[in-house]
Amino acid sequence: MADETPKSFLARIQNIDRRVLYALIFVSVIVPLFLPLKLPVPVTPETQNFFDAVEALPDSSIVMLPFDFWPSTLAETEPMAVVGLRHLFRKNCYVVGLSNVGMGGPTIADRLLDSIGGEFHKTYGVDYVNLGYKPDYRAVMLGMGTRISDIFPTDYRDTPLEELPLMRRVPNYDSVAFIFIVSDNVAVDYWVGLVNARFGIPMGAGVTAVMAPKSLSFVQANQLVGLLGGMKGCAEYENLLERPARAIRGMDSQSMIHLLIVVFIIMGNVGYFASKRRVPRS
Amino acid sequence: MIIAFFGTGDTLADFSNEALRYMSIVAGFALLLGVISITQVSAGVVRKREKDWPYKIVLLLCLFTMAGFGIFQGITSGTVFEWLFENIQKPMMATMFSVLAFFIASAAYRAFRARTVEATILLITAIVVMLGRVPMGQYVYEDFPAVANWIMMFPSVAVQRGIIIGAALGAASMSLRIILGIERTYMGRG
Repeated sequence: MADETPKSFLARIQNIDRRVLYALIFVSVIVPLFLPLKLPVPVTPETQNFFDAVEALPDSSIVMLPFDFWPSTLAETEPMAVVGLRHLFRKNCYVVGLSNVGMGGPTIADRLLDSIGGEFHKTYGVDYVNLGYKPDYRAVMLGMGTRISDIFPTDYRDTPLEELPLMRRVPNYDSVAFIFIVSDNVAVDYWVGLVNARFGIPMGAGVTAVMAPKSLSFVQANQLVGLLGGMKGCAEYENLLERPARAIRGMDSQSMIHLLIVVFIIMGNVGYFASKRRVPRS
Repeated sequence: MIIAFFGTGDTLADFSNEALRYMSIVAGFALLLGVISITQVSAGVVRKREKDWPYKIVLLLCLFTMAGFGIFQGITSGTVFEWLFENIQKPMMATMFSVLAFFIASAAYRAFRARTVEATILLITAIVVMLGRVPMGQYVYEDFPAVANWIMMFPSVAVQRGIIIGAALGAASMSLRIILGIERTYMGRG
């Protein structure tokens, strides 16, 4: 009987009910949102380089901002688009928005451009434009190198491009000083492979955390000036911009979740090794 | 288009852009093909009352409701399509994705066991990166962020490059096989 208790304890820490785990994760996400830990977020070189590249743009430059993300990853990608727009509008840059994601991309772009543009008293058509979506991003990316109006005869609101003062100044990539990509999919590879390689436009990308390892290879090859890897990268950028927002708030929850997962992994392994040691050798 | 990639000149650019516009139109029709295909498959399941047929009705209803509002009223701000998207579709997609956090945590707890040397290396690396990528990691060990960044920048990038190069070579060889007519399985032939 004395041997039974520790044995069952070891078995228990290896097989904790998943509902307990789910409940702890739920609490770890929710509590820091209401009781922020305000942990400092150290800045990585990739984020610093990205920020410096945007900061180095001459004021009133024309910047393209592709909203290449699905609604499912909004928690990670929307704060990136917001922080990028805030930085660009603060520098009085002109923003050409578009999306290579048909489902949701243009709608999200429209909402964010209007909302952040409103914060800085910017006017649609003059200071920023939403081109919307056209199928096949390879054709879109390459085609805009010759004439944007060939690919997008009208903007998202069905206004012909020649009627938009900003677009009269942007016939193709020649007028674009920088591309601030926000993406949760393979589109970022094509921006690098087709647009950076062929037209030489400097670009940086904000990508989801799972995409960061792949995208870092573009940073090492100097095809991207910098990278925002997931919510952490975005939190770093918010820090640099001195505008704490959703990503910094979200980092506390992410810290708690990561710590919780690590604790559970260690518990599982302790249980595994201890129970293995208890099995008598045959 | 390959020539246009290396060449210059208006005629070449015009020709290339025309081809790109065709690509975009063809891609649009591919989407239409997808809609037709999913309608046929789902309608078949409903007709034969196969497993989960009520879900197919929901799928078809949602598909044609969204498409209908989008086609006849537009998709810009203030339309029904936009309202449906912002208030139904977007929260549902975000919810589905956020559920992953629960599954991943549960799977990591159950599957991450140091059974072999390789599994142990993977386990330690995962723990270092997980802690190094969040602010709390520096309180556990102050060099965790630097170590995690080194892992991400060097061993991880090296592996990613290998995967990218391998995939690119595979795609190039498959394209050649299709262009030369060696690969015809996509047409239903061997």
